[in-house]
Amino acid sequence: MIVRPARCIALAGSAVLVLGVLAGCSKPGSSNTASTGSSTGPIKIAVVDAQSGQDSSLGQWEYDGAKLAVSQWNAKGGIDGRQIQLTVFDDKADPTTGTDIASKLASEGFVAMIGTAESGVTAAMEPTLEAAKIPNITSGQSPALTKSGDPYVFLNGPTSVTYDSTLAAYLTGTLHDTKIAMITNNGAYGAGEQSSFLAQLTADGLKPTSNQVVTTTQTDFSSALTAIKQSNPQVVFIGSEEVEAGLIVKQARSLGITVPFAGGAPQGTPVFIDTAGTANVEGTIVSSPYLSNDTSAASKAFAAAYQGAYGSAAELHGAKAYDGTEILLTALKTSGLATGLKLADAIRATQYDGLLGDFRYDKTGVGIFKTSIGIVKNGSLVAVG
Amino acid sequence: MQVFLQTIVGGLNLGAVYALVALGFALVYRTMGLVNFAHADVLMIGAYIAATFTVSQHLPFAVAVLASIVITGVIGLFIERFLRPLEGRDFDLMLIGTIGFGIVLESVATLIWGATGEAVPSPVQTRPLVVFGASVPTYDLVVMGVAVVAMLALSLFLERTRRGVAMQAVAMDYDAAKAVGINVGRSNAIAFAIGAGLAALAGALVGPELYVSPTMGGSIGIDGFAAAILGGFGSIPGAVVGALAVGLLNSFSADYFQGYADLATFVLFAVIVMIKPTGLFGEKTVLRA
Repeated sequence: MIVRPARCIALAGSAVLVLGVLAGCSKPGSSNTASTGSSTGPIKIAVVDAQSGQDSSLGQWEYDGAKLAVSQWNAKGGIDGRQIQLTVFDDKADPTTGTDIASKLASEGFVAMIGTAESGVTAAMEPTLEAAKIPNITSGQSPALTKSGDPYVFLNGPTSVTYDSTLAAYLTGTLHDTKIAMITNNGAYGAGEQSSFLAQLTADGLKPTSNQVVTTTQTDFSSALTAIKQSNPQVVFIGSEEVEAGLIVKQARSLGITVPFAGGAPQGTPVFIDTAGTANVEGTIVSSPYLSNDTSAASKAFAAAYQGAYGSAAELHGAKAYDGTEILLTALKTSGLATGLKLADAIRATQYDGLLGDFRYDKTGVGIFKTSIGIVKNGSLVAVG
Repeated sequence: MQVFLQTIVGGLNLGAVYALVALGFALVYRTMGLVNFAHADVLMIGAYIAATFTVSQHLPFAVAVLASIVITGVIGLFIERFLRPLEGRDFDLMLIGTIGFGIVLESVATLIWGATGEAVPSPVQTRPLVVFGASVPTYDLVVMGVAVVAMLALSLFLERTRRGVAMQAVAMDYDAAKAVGINVGRSNAIAFAIGAGLAALAGALVGPELYVSPTMGGSIGIDGFAAAILGGFGSIPGAVVGALAVGLLNSFSADYFQGYADLATFVLFAVIVMIKPTGLFGEKTVLRA
């Protein structure tokens, strides 16, 4: 067959489009029951999280945490004699896929949603969920999520501002560091970290020695890290998800940066530690509301149940999703299985002493305002002091 | 100055990996006139196989890489055999077929290894060399060295062996090559197998530098494809030069434009392709596609 090169390029172009469209189509969830938010049948709750792609470990932890809470409630007889049915949707950490799923939740009668783990995806889904009056307990932590005045969005942990103010106070107040460099990515999480940490430094009268922004898909950080190395900091603040942050630290060590890194929740996770290598992350300073499974009787019980159900150690994200799901189920119970705005108001009124701390929701949907500082030692996070 | 040198080191290291990816794209295109869209996913499979052999089987890295090349080469043969009935009949379907295989490979990887991915420790643990203040990780040198050897071997094969020359003849004139008795099917199969082997080599080498997951092929595949286009699609030296250019372009735009690096890279790429649509080494030998 004789085809001109121009046609080939057109074909290649259309093939790329086909690929894009295929990638955009999401797996339509595993739910196949026809029940809705009516007064019979199971109570339908959706978990929306990345189950594939680079952020899928986050999605898996979240799903496991939510599933554990639901199975414990179901084992005790559900709510008002009705079982709770949890359905997982894969958002691929992609906002477009997320909005697609949001419309699906609206049409299929889900009463509430747990997730997502990415602020960017949650922000994209918010308008659709608000219109459909579906309360959403997200693991996102971008301050932008709470600014919209949407009464249906709740955070299952602190915002970036809390993480970063605690971290900045520790670095400048306790360690007396004055030379702090920053590296963040330009995604929703990284941009949130960049603005909250920078605001804290500015409030303390400090300026970062170097302030580098990388993209979320970048794999070579030579120039950014060399600029940081030349600025000779005492500590490097890192605002990026697990895998990318791991690569950054690994490359930083090979470029001869020996000072510790400091960051939020992702820097305490096993994925970050494995990607960077245990020796490279020794001494990393982490701000987190859930430092270890041994902090309280509740966290010990949670960790034991998690270990029993999934055969792996519990960590922050599973704990967050567990807390969020517990709050939702408690609100469903106290409100007599309300939906819509009534359920949202019931969530806001729920006072829950959970794994991350004592949840007392304010009108913006934030319930936790405190984190602790931990240090990575021999590949695991331990509390300071 | 130090930032400049370090950026070059980073760019060349990326470029070496892109070169292996671009060579695979170019070889299959040169022989069959087909863009193999499963290429990036073959790379991912190669990375997983090498990672599995080194991390869980504790085989030496070189052995794991060889095993990965052989296994993915067989996958390449399988894909070609599957598409062969369409050769010379329906080009569009072949193209879509390769996209389909890409999706299948990604799903298979998720089934076998799970969706979360795996971190691979670097096989070379020695300290980085310091050249004029720039730090050069020894593993980067290994990657660049292997890439150069692979390029030379591929060029020698295409120019100096009967089989290689026959493959080029098929690319230049399908009907004439068939008329003089060249086995076109076998020629295509070899192109696919070598292309898959090159992708596996790239995947295996890049695994310890990145994070191995079912979707890792995405961005490397796009950059490798861009490299092949920039060099002039189907040209072997073009693929290498294009890859180094894309690698350096990536790391310098990361330096100057930070968060807008991807945008800057691809705007510049679009401008170059508009000025020179056939790419830097564009030839017109391949007309079958």
